[in-house]
Amino acid sequence: MKPPRFEYFAPRTLDEALGLLAGHGDRAKLLAGGQSLIPLLNFRLAHPEALIDINRIPELGGIRADDGGVAIGALTRQHAVERSEAVRTRVPIVAEACRLIGHLPIRHRGTIGGNLAHADPASELPAVMLALEAQLTVASAKGTRTLPADRFFVGPLSTALQTGEMLTEIRLPGLPARTGGAFVEMARRAGDYALVGVAALVTLDGSGRCRRARVALCGVGPTPIRAGAAEDALVGQTPDGAALDEAAARAAAATSPPSDLHGSADFRRKLARHFARLAIATATERAGRT
Amino acid sequence: MPRTVPIGLNVNGVRHELNVEPRWLLVDVIREVLGLTGTHIGCEHGVCGTCTVLVNGETARSCLMLAVGADGAEILTVEGLSRGDRLHPLQEAFREAQGLQCGFCTPGMLMLAHELLRDNAAPSEQEIREAISANLCRCTGYQGIVEAVRLAATRLATAAAAS
Amino acid sequence: MATVERRWIGKDVPRLEDPKLLAGRATYTDDVRLPGMLHAAVLRSPHPHARITRIDTSQARALPGVFAVITGEDARELTNPLPAFCAEPVVQYALAVDKVRFVGEAVAAVAAVDRYTAEDAAALIEVEYEPLPVVTDPFEAMKPGAAKLHETLPGNLAFEKTLSFGDVTGDFAAADHVIRRTLRWHRASAQPLETAGAVCRFDPIGQRMDVWSNTNMINFVGWLIANTLKVPASKLNIHPMYVGGSFGSKHVLGKVIGIAGMLAKRSGRAVKFMEDRVDNLLASENLGCDRYYDAELAVSKDGIFTSIRVRVVDDYGAYFQFGHGTHGNALAQVTGPYRIPSFEYTVQCVLTNKCQQGVFRGAGSDAGNFCLERLVDAAARELAIDHVEIRRRNFIQPDRFPFKTPCGNIYDSGDYPAVLDKALDMAGYAELRRMQAEARKQGRYIGIGLATAHQRSVYGPTEFWFWYDSPGLTSVPESVGLGLGPTGEFTVTMFSPFWGNSPETVVAQTVAEEFGIHPYQVTVTHEDSQHGLPGAGPGGSRMTVMLTGAVVGASRKLKDKLARIAAHHFEAAPADITFADGRAMVRGVPDKSMTYGDLGLKAYWFKLDLPPGMESGLEARHTYDHPYLTMPSADRKDLGAFYPMMAHGAHIPVVEVEPATGRVRFLRYIAVHDVGTIVNPKSLRGQITGGITQGIGMALYEESAYDQQGQPLTGSFMDYLLPTALEVPAFEIGHVETPSPFTEYGVKGGGEGGRMIAPAAIAAAVEDALAPFGVRVDEVPLTPERIVNLVEAARR
Repeated sequence: MKPPRFEYFAPRTLDEALGLLAGHGDRAKLLAGGQSLIPLLNFRLAHPEALIDINRIPELGGIRADDGGVAIGALTRQHAVERSEAVRTRVPIVAEACRLIGHLPIRHRGTIGGNLAHADPASELPAVMLALEAQLTVASAKGTRTLPADRFFVGPLSTALQTGEMLTEIRLPGLPARTGGAFVEMARRAGDYALVGVAALVTLDGSGRCRRARVALCGVGPTPIRAGAAEDALVGQTPDGAALDEAAARAAAATSPPSDLHGSADFRRKLARHFARLAIATATERAGRT
Repeated sequence: MPRTVPIGLNVNGVRHELNVEPRWLLVDVIREVLGLTGTHIGCEHGVCGTCTVLVNGETARSCLMLAVGADGAEILTVEGLSRGDRLHPLQEAFREAQGLQCGFCTPGMLMLAHELLRDNAAPSEQEIREAISANLCRCTGYQGIVEAVRLAATRLATAAAAS
Repeated sequence: MATVERRWIGKDVPRLEDPKLLAGRATYTDDVRLPGMLHAAVLRSPHPHARITRIDTSQARALPGVFAVITGEDARELTNPLPAFCAEPVVQYALAVDKVRFVGEAVAAVAAVDRYTAEDAAALIEVEYEPLPVVTDPFEAMKPGAAKLHETLPGNLAFEKTLSFGDVTGDFAAADHVIRRTLRWHRASAQPLETAGAVCRFDPIGQRMDVWSNTNMINFVGWLIANTLKVPASKLNIHPMYVGGSFGSKHVLGKVIGIAGMLAKRSGRAVKFMEDRVDNLLASENLGCDRYYDAELAVSKDGIFTSIRVRVVDDYGAYFQFGHGTHGNALAQVTGPYRIPSFEYTVQCVLTNKCQQGVFRGAGSDAGNFCLERLVDAAARELAIDHVEIRRRNFIQPDRFPFKTPCGNIYDSGDYPAVLDKALDMAGYAELRRMQAEARKQGRYIGIGLATAHQRSVYGPTEFWFWYDSPGLTSVPESVGLGLGPTGEFTVTMFSPFWGNSPETVVAQTVAEEFGIHPYQVTVTHEDSQHGLPGAGPGGSRMTVMLTGAVVGASRKLKDKLARIAAHHFEAAPADITFADGRAMVRGVPDKSMTYGDLGLKAYWFKLDLPPGMESGLEARHTYDHPYLTMPSADRKDLGAFYPMMAHGAHIPVVEVEPATGRVRFLRYIAVHDVGTIVNPKSLRGQITGGITQGIGMALYEESAYDQQGQPLTGSFMDYLLPTALEVPAFEIGHVETPSPFTEYGVKGGGEGGRMIAPAAIAAAVEDALAPFGVRVDEVPLTPERIVNLVEAARR
């Protein structure tokens, strides 16, 4: 299982990388952490003419506080995201989800941008991005634009990135006071891709009722899914008992899960309901403790 | 002749200047070009961790890195643990606790344990299991490995206190 | 029970094998480098059943760096069919000839300057196929008119037979209850971390083939491999390698050796073929049994088992390499540790368009234990007798050994009540049941499983052929050479490879025990097949018994010579010479002693000091045959003793099951094994914890799955799931030692027991956890979805 031949470039600046990307278009692939791309190359499921290695572009990395929230360079390693003080204090759900990605050696190399651009439907971070309403900065030789997360993931392993474009930064807005978040998943083994994962953010008002909710799921559709109907079921309610059950049921109803060896669509729907309930309950409990 | 790229690797403290094809995996350069066959190949898709080495002080699956991507890096392989005819205390602990059987996963496990004990001198059983869950072992059922790491932690702590 | 106190046998001697393994300096097959060596890659069939109509290798050949490209035509010319341990004419070549019979079957191979180039070339080979109808369901495959895999056979039912022992009909008729179960044991794959591989180098002038491979039976069936490679047996030399795990999957390796050998012949250079992980998942010889059981247990109203009837369909995939050997294997212990006086076993071996079965740790008796213990638990439930009690009532008692089973196999020794008692004691069983009851009140589903089951050791080759009328091979030896050098150093030469078991340490401990030296004073070497003595190698949990036997035999010969030398020197009788503390001594006269160094010097350099007629030198070789193997009777009503070193174990897993998700978590796992005299406790413990972990895999995670169109669903480690350190608990291991009366030191084998007993125990634990729902567990692996479905079905 060895990669096929490709031309190799290691640009030192973003402009250089974008120029190469413009020149090679769809025949090139970007190499960031390699934890998703190199297995594809080893399986010979990908045959890029050119590989543009962006690991030596320092301006693509780094985490900074950004107007109450956090801005994370696309090349930031998942392990660094997980350990970041800014992330842990401002958007802890991102750190919680990162800890579930594979194993430490994978997170040493894998990047947040690479994970999002790869857009595996079972990946944790895309669902978290939907729940946080992240803004994704996309650059090309022609300029930059910003995409909201809910327009970024288009299909299995498919994003809204056009030919010549690359993800450069992820901006996560700050969360309102009295917000708790939780990411829970079920995988066959520790570190495996999620069968089902749920990201939940619950903001409570002074009387313990839900003021705002965000629920997103992974592993249950061609893209991560934002369960708006589940969110609606929570707003204005105390998130327990019947309201919680209703939200969980609506979250499951919003899914269109795949069927494979590890779980049929029906099974995943059941899991979606179970873990949506758990995620919302946990987020609520954490919100109550803020 | 396929195009090659010049790279520099510092492996176990020794600097190497090499010409590699861009597509060559780091594990293959370590094994085939440098002749360091202690790092093994188990799956070539990043699940088994048999190929684990340290790159700039962090564990990484060398089957998921291109050698060109490691240009300028400091790499530690299992051969870098022992000194001459002396095994590293970590290796001695594995020996005493019988944390191996066929030995194929062992170099990768040693790399994980090395990193763990460097960053966490007194890991709990759960922390040890979490760290080594990154790699597969088909022989031991992990118990001997956990005991080996626990023993190594004690030994290394004693040695550190003594020095 | 008293254990004999010995100096080295039974001690935790750190292994001889470990320092170089730890330093990364052992040579595995992929570490072999020969001058000019090429690397191979294989092109595999995407179709489960198809005729090959055209292969065009021209583009591949033209690629720079490519030195040979071969197809089935080359296989037909350069090789004979691969060895198979069956009488049925199921023909397999290392590369598919004329048709492919499973997805992943090798169709062509390339030798090139490196593996990268070889894969580039393989991608340039054009193959045209004419798809044929696919059979994946063994019941469909058996029907007349089903698409036939092999033209040499009448149909896909490769073998079918019923063997009956005792009065099965009468015993069932007289029974108060008949417990019946249909059970499913899915195929799993051994998946050692090191794949199978071979380096071959061919000398056309001398017609000599050298092979470096992780194959096992170097000195047993090497001549069969020579026949496959079409070289004279005396001109084949197989070099033993360190092996990165096998678990039964590397016994022969005719395919990888055949491919490397053919490429070596065609290219004129040494060629290495290492399977990559996809090769190993799709097309190796590592798959376990794939069984559908319909089994019945006859029981009296007091819960006494009186007969068992097993009907089993086994889906062998496309080839029949090991024949029905895994059923012969199961016959060794069909009745388990129980006194059941009669049994009937009907097997149907069916071929389908999937990869062939090989042998995987447990080798058919793993599934057999699952079948028996599920019936026992079902009997307990139906008769409302406690699970522990019903086993006690049926155990063969400790004073009944050697015990002859209904089919003729012997159980050499055992104390099943003691093993069970120890397991219950270690578990704190009564307290566990209290804890379980409390947990149920809190809505938690905790289960306590129990399996009391056998782990036969040291196989006899008769199990491969006693289903047939005509006889087959009856030798399954193991040999060692033992030498004492002129400087007093001991060397043991071995003729079978290291698999991850501890053969070097076992022989060193045995020599140390025999001669009163330290194990580290023993050097161990491995000999290739051209210089080899017979040895069937690891497998069937045989090595500890066979190596200790071979070493003791060689030690006796060496001691005999040493005694005569010493006696001659001291003018004493050879019978008065003892060996201890590094020297030979006249009994009771410490002044009259010689160190092994003295003796070595004398034997090699001072011929005139030796007894008249004695040769110089100090080397003994011994071939140890199976210590208790007897012929089956002609009418096959008595199969003879074929697996008599019968080890045993009791497992008590404690699990928590989450009915909403199907997740299973281990709270504890207690396992007590009786494998006779223990040689190296830590080494045995490792075999047990590793075996149980594979058993956990079998019970919950591992399935080598195909869809109904014959497409493999588990072609990577992302889908074929091996347990990690977080899926398994810390095991609590206990031991009982009832020595074997038939082996040296009373040892038995213990390498397979973990995997042979755990799936039955875990199935019982899950069933126990979900007992409030009335769930019955009849299938492994118990994936989360299967568990959720069981709960829902039971609720309806």
